[in-house]
Amino acid sequence: MKIVVTVKLVPDLNASKSIDPATKRLVRAGAETVLNPYDEYALEAALQLKERLGGETSVTLLSMGPQATQETLRKALAMGADDAVVLSDDVLAGSDVAMTAAALAGALKNIGFDLVVCGGLADDGSTGGVPGALAEHLGVPGLTNARHVEIDDAVVKVQRETDSGYQVVTCPLPALVSVTMAVGEPRYASLKGIMGAKKKTIAPLCASDAGVGGLAPKTELLRFAAPPARTKARVVEAPDGATGARAIFEFLRERKLV
Amino acid sequence: MQHVVEVVEHRKGQTRKVTFELATQARDLADRLGGTAHAVVLGSGAAELAEQLKAYPLDAVHVAEDPDVDAYLIDPTIDYVEAVARAVGSAVILVPNTMYGRDVASRIAARLGAGMVADVTGFEVEGGRVACVAPKLGGATITACAFRDGEYGVATVRPNAFAAQSGGAGARVDAIEKPPGRRYAMRIESEVEEASDELGLEEAPVVVSGGRGLGGADPFRTLLKPLADALGGAVGASRAAADAGWVPYSLQIGQTGKTVSPKLYIAVGISGAIQHKVGMRSSGTIVAVNKDGAAPIAEFSDLVVVGDAFAIIPELTKLVEAAKA
Repeated sequence: MKIVVTVKLVPDLNASKSIDPATKRLVRAGAETVLNPYDEYALEAALQLKERLGGETSVTLLSMGPQATQETLRKALAMGADDAVVLSDDVLAGSDVAMTAAALAGALKNIGFDLVVCGGLADDGSTGGVPGALAEHLGVPGLTNARHVEIDDAVVKVQRETDSGYQVVTCPLPALVSVTMAVGEPRYASLKGIMGAKKKTIAPLCASDAGVGGLAPKTELLRFAAPPARTKARVVEAPDGATGARAIFEFLRERKLV
Repeated sequence: MQHVVEVVEHRKGQTRKVTFELATQARDLADRLGGTAHAVVLGSGAAELAEQLKAYPLDAVHVAEDPDVDAYLIDPTIDYVEAVARAVGSAVILVPNTMYGRDVASRIAARLGAGMVADVTGFEVEGGRVACVAPKLGGATITACAFRDGEYGVATVRPNAFAAQSGGAGARVDAIEKPPGRRYAMRIESEVEEASDELGLEEAPVVVSGGRGLGGADPFRTLLKPLADALGGAVGASRAAADAGWVPYSLQIGQTGKTVSPKLYIAVGISGAIQHKVGMRSSGTIVAVNKDGAAPIAEFSDLVVVGDAFAIIPELTKLVEAAKA
């Protein structure tokens, strides 16, 4: 059983992020690159499955982005993934959601899979569109927002989060699932894992080998601007409940919110 | 792109305000493009909801009450939406920016080879091209993103970003023919309700949110819920509260949780770490109640009340209830 986890490397949330006015792309230089936090949960879910299924189950990481940043993948390998494939090519720079999903689908067809596990969202783009689009491109069932994943006899069963609870949904493999953070806190890498990760393979894959050399983005960033600045907060000291409540209530009335 | 097609989210015919906001916006955008405005309503209760939608200025409401839509995840829905999109022709497809909407948007965009823009708060039409206005990078940047040449574009639209305005001549209601020869794999075996008919966090016009300062699970029910109910809103939480097990992760706002932008956000006992900030900073008005007036949340709030939340919130709830009475 081959599980592939899609991982994205993103600028650290604490770094100040900006868009380059010339290329209209996110400035990635200078900011520390980290694993997209949502993808750490995807990897955790995959590693849990590997532990439960045992046998010949493997977990491969698939990442797309500049080759230079990919050493960050060692952290995910140290957590327990077996190997990694990096789809990296100048022709894929500036991909939007549609192009990213199409490119990842090409790579997945190239490396093969029984189950694809995705995080729900990327910390930088925040569109949340890749898992669904990827399932569509691969022509496999796409079970999104799973908070629990089981595999039994080549059938995937998930608890899928909804606004008011969850659904139990099943489908046959091959399939794609995206997970929420309820799957469990991502594990820390052990010292043995960290040592072992140094020897694991990070294999490059170019766009033409993935069969995705001719893609183009479907959206174009025209403009961007800082949001209107919030004026400095009004600060009220409330020695008792009534004073505090009155201050909030009057403020909400001023703004016609009550 | 000329026409506009809204995909309606509902449960057995029950829907939320965002449906009517999108219907209104569909009309407005279609008028600017010189095209027609449509809605697609699928599954159990669709026909009844289509009658309600007649009060909004749409040209047509396309309906299919097919049990497959309720029995199988997403795939039958996408087949129907595709059928309508292809019949209508070149179109912008609007869905709400909710869990359901993002699922529909990502699948139909890939199916139609369309671009997708998420969390849209406005539309601009320039030389016949549609550009979507959307906050990005955790609200730090407001972008305008155009669909490139192509037949279709897909936008997930932020709830509460547009007004809902009834009117118009009454849409015609069409039945959609079932796409032939499809077999579906993702079977919905059961549904479990954990919160009874809660307002979806992402759609709530008011969010009352609690953090570490609340000290346990009970205050979410006894302190925050009554205030949220009085204000017609929903309860949210910081990561600290979700990690402590005080609330389910589905209520978590911020990085790795939900992004919300209500008209009013009340943060109770939340320090305002960057992980929380990115999930709520584009809210209309932000009020913080905190023991510590120097907590980071003060830097992006409109009003900071320094004091004891356990004393303040019940009094505030009473004032709000009295004002409504």
